[in-house]
Amino acid sequence: MDVVWLVFLGVLLAGYFALEGFDLGVGMLLPVLGRSRERRDAMVAAIAPFVLANEVWLVAAAGALFGAFPVLEGEVLFELYPLVVGMLLAWILRDAGLWFRRRADAPAWRGLWDRVIALGSLVLSFGWGLVLYAIATGFDGSLWHPVGLLLGVLVTLAFAYHGRTFLAGRVPEFAGPGSLPMSAVLAALPVAAVLVAAVPELRDHAAPGDTLGPLTLLVLPFVPVMIGVQVWVWRTFRPGSDRIPSFF
Amino acid sequence: MDVLDLARLQFGLTAGLHFLFVVLTLGMAPVVAVLNTRWVLSGNPLYERMTRFWGQLYVINYALGIVTGLVMEFQFGLSWSGLSHYAGDVFGAPLAVETMTAFFLESTFLGLWIFGWHRLPRRAHLACIWAVTLTAYASAFWIMVANSFLQNPAGAAVEGDRLVLHDLGALLTNETLVFSFPHVVGAGLTTGAFVLMGASAYHLRRGTEEREFFVRSLRTGVWLAAVGLLVAVGFGFAQFGAVPEGKFDGGPEAAGLGFMILIGQLLLLVVLLFLLPAIRWVPRWRRLHRLLVAMTPLPFVAAILGWIAREMGRHPWMIRDRLTVADAMSPGLTSGMVTASLVGFATVLGLLAVVDYALIARVVRRGPGAVALGAPPPPEPSERPEPALNH
Repeated sequence: MDVVWLVFLGVLLAGYFALEGFDLGVGMLLPVLGRSRERRDAMVAAIAPFVLANEVWLVAAAGALFGAFPVLEGEVLFELYPLVVGMLLAWILRDAGLWFRRRADAPAWRGLWDRVIALGSLVLSFGWGLVLYAIATGFDGSLWHPVGLLLGVLVTLAFAYHGRTFLAGRVPEFAGPGSLPMSAVLAALPVAAVLVAAVPELRDHAAPGDTLGPLTLLVLPFVPVMIGVQVWVWRTFRPGSDRIPSFF
Repeated sequence: MDVLDLARLQFGLTAGLHFLFVVLTLGMAPVVAVLNTRWVLSGNPLYERMTRFWGQLYVINYALGIVTGLVMEFQFGLSWSGLSHYAGDVFGAPLAVETMTAFFLESTFLGLWIFGWHRLPRRAHLACIWAVTLTAYASAFWIMVANSFLQNPAGAAVEGDRLVLHDLGALLTNETLVFSFPHVVGAGLTTGAFVLMGASAYHLRRGTEEREFFVRSLRTGVWLAAVGLLVAVGFGFAQFGAVPEGKFDGGPEAAGLGFMILIGQLLLLVVLLFLLPAIRWVPRWRRLHRLLVAMTPLPFVAAILGWIAREMGRHPWMIRDRLTVADAMSPGLTSGMVTASLVGFATVLGLLAVVDYALIARVVRRGPGAVALGAPPPPEPSERPEPALNH
């Protein structure tokens, strides 16, 4: 039974990196590629229909961790305390920026939230590198180890590249080379590697069968629905000329 | 304040703020879904405009529900790892089910609904808002399962130094769950109803051009308030059978509980004895409209007082008779850590909440004519009238 939950956790986390990776990438590229308000609007409008469907992969991964590996959930989050706090603040500010940027007409208002989106995306991406390093080394040593910082830079660059290929395939102004599936694999590679290395530790700390049995029974029937609705999102928001005003 | 007080304050602020936004989400989601259904079935553009206007209010409120919920989910691990260590095998299960089968779908369907206007076929688009409503209620149910387990650890057995899940059925039929979940649903519907009435009364009082729009909305609000209040008050009193003796003996939370009951009964009286019998004339009485606007915050106040009574009334227990709050705190948590994160979360969430309520007020003030949600694409350039000659 614990194998099922290893797969759930692995797929949800890798999925988060592969999907939310391009949202964060586009967010941090706002000041780089979006030098005019129209360009920034086009960039945000491109990711807008996907953000809600993408960020929930991490919420569900955290839920799976809590349900199936509860002891690790407490220990891992506590060990990463300052990183989790900083990344949560970055995440909610990024989200608020997306929801708020078009809710008033003043250019300064939208400019402010665009900067918030960019900064939030950058901090969250960089934080993931530090988190992965700390987990990979079993929290042995500083959270700010130079290798961790380097990994932060690498994850940030991978997300930025992923965001760039996403834009290239969707927004005519940003047309360019690059394959979205390839950049998705690149974005998910770091977390996949750390997860594979963590399998023995995860198996040692899985909840007992008395918990996992009913839990699996309750969740498994919904898995096809979860996959189906995600596929529906990608079918609905296919690239193409689109003049419908964006809500974000 | 010591580290335990700070950690409690942090969780209380986050969860309380979350509840204030969620309670309106629970009230507005079915309203928007029903309006959307009437639009699709009748084709009447009035219902399309009502769906968009109340829908925009609903989604802006939803934004803060998400961000406060994110912070809350991770705070369990940050501040309360003792809880997952001792009872994670039981307490983690409903939260895992909630995130995977309810919130995952709710958020994905909401994205489809918000961005799917003019893209999805109308009936598919309508199905999305019903899926959002259904999963929002499923989400509330699983959260109440988890919360009720803390109030009364049914379905769990002590094995060694930990709790194990012993009986899923008992967890789901917990006596502190069966009446509290419908009570929360009633509170949500009541809150949604008073927002409908308050916003409609605001426009009617100012002599709006959108008279039919707000007359209908106001009457919908009166009916919804009657249903919501009956459910909330009925299941509210029914809960007292399961309250452990001495839970509400004095203390500020007991006073808050008394005030909540007072508000609930007052609103029930006003709605059942006055607004509902006079529903034909209510849209015309301008003096009454001022009162309805002023009453809008009352269900929020009642909801938060009830929440405080339930949660603080459990103190000093995290899990009643099993685990104290002090033992549930993460070992090694320091005042410095909690203070820094408390300042961060309280500042950011507090500011975002103020901005969000200001934006909701702005949506209400600007009325149905200025709604971004579901805005149609601009006409094709060729369809535009020829521009006048340049001067």
